[in-house]
Amino acid sequence: MTELLSSSTLWLAVSIGCYALGAKIQQKTGSALCNPLLLSSIMVGVLLVVTGTSYQTYESAGQLISFFLTPATVALAVPIYRKLDVLKKNLAPILAGALVGSLTSIASVLLFSRLFGLSGQTTRSLVPKSVTTPIAVALSDMMDGLAPVTAIVVVFTGIVGAILLPTFLKCIGVRNPVQMGLSIGTAAHAVGTSRAIELGETEGAMSGLAIGVAGLLTAILVSVGSILFG
Amino acid sequence: MNYLKQLGVLLACCVAGDALSILLHGALPGNVLGLTLLLVLLVCTPLRLGHVEQTADYLLQNMAFFFLPACLGVLEIFAQIKSEILAILAVCVLTTLCTAAATAFTVHIVFRLQNRQSEEAFDHD
Repeated sequence: MTELLSSSTLWLAVSIGCYALGAKIQQKTGSALCNPLLLSSIMVGVLLVVTGTSYQTYESAGQLISFFLTPATVALAVPIYRKLDVLKKNLAPILAGALVGSLTSIASVLLFSRLFGLSGQTTRSLVPKSVTTPIAVALSDMMDGLAPVTAIVVVFTGIVGAILLPTFLKCIGVRNPVQMGLSIGTAAHAVGTSRAIELGETEGAMSGLAIGVAGLLTAILVSVGSILFG
Repeated sequence: MNYLKQLGVLLACCVAGDALSILLHGALPGNVLGLTLLLVLLVCTPLRLGHVEQTADYLLQNMAFFFLPACLGVLEIFAQIKSEILAILAVCVLTTLCTAAATAFTVHIVFRLQNRQSEEAFDHD
């Protein structure tokens, strides 16, 4: 039995099962709060603790799963390429919006982290929190942040964005669908985009493009920042 | 075989991205460079969407699942960040609102500049 609990095949199957269950729950409830990644993390986490399995044991299965992250990130080029004409047509608002948004995200994380007294390493883990997880985690690693904190914080940001942003943006007077989509995509990546798609086709397309553009711009900003400020 | 061939193309971009990252002394992550490279290849070379599309869509649709181990890594460092959790969540909410507002404001300004330009062009006609 103990041998079975340390089998990577078992934990791979458990991980897929929990994620599938999480996706089903989200489909049934339709709520952004029931994020499949968040739900399955809790489920697998509880199973690991209950069975007394260490994270090191889980990691052999984890590595099989994480392997696909890099090709999946490279695959992000495909949705950008598909919307290249939309990108060209709206180049100025997309580039300017994503650039100022990414800068604001980084600056506000630095500001509020200092205000709330977070440690340097935690702050570095939060800096890339508005962009899509693969880019955020890679940047966090690069800055010597805590990758797991970044991964969770990115998902949490997406959920907060999906729930709050449409109403918040309407309250501050945003009516234009291009403006709405770009703001949601820049601040809340793919999870926000899934909500933007529900608002309308233009909102969804703009939000989807903002994921890639804000991700690339944030990578460049962080890279330049680390060279300038060490 | 199709899926496997397409995975091969994506992995080749990953390796090239990592190589570029090393050449740049790690200034940008390899996966970001790989993404950029694939985009450049699709635009500028005979590489077509059909050469990567199916595997790419499969990976993108399941992207969140691939992060499960990364999220579970919190189990290991939970003690280290326990005292900061509430502050972390507060920072997330506040900065998300700031980011969206700044983006919306910038797009608004760009639209106004563009409108003014097209009006001026109209006046000259």
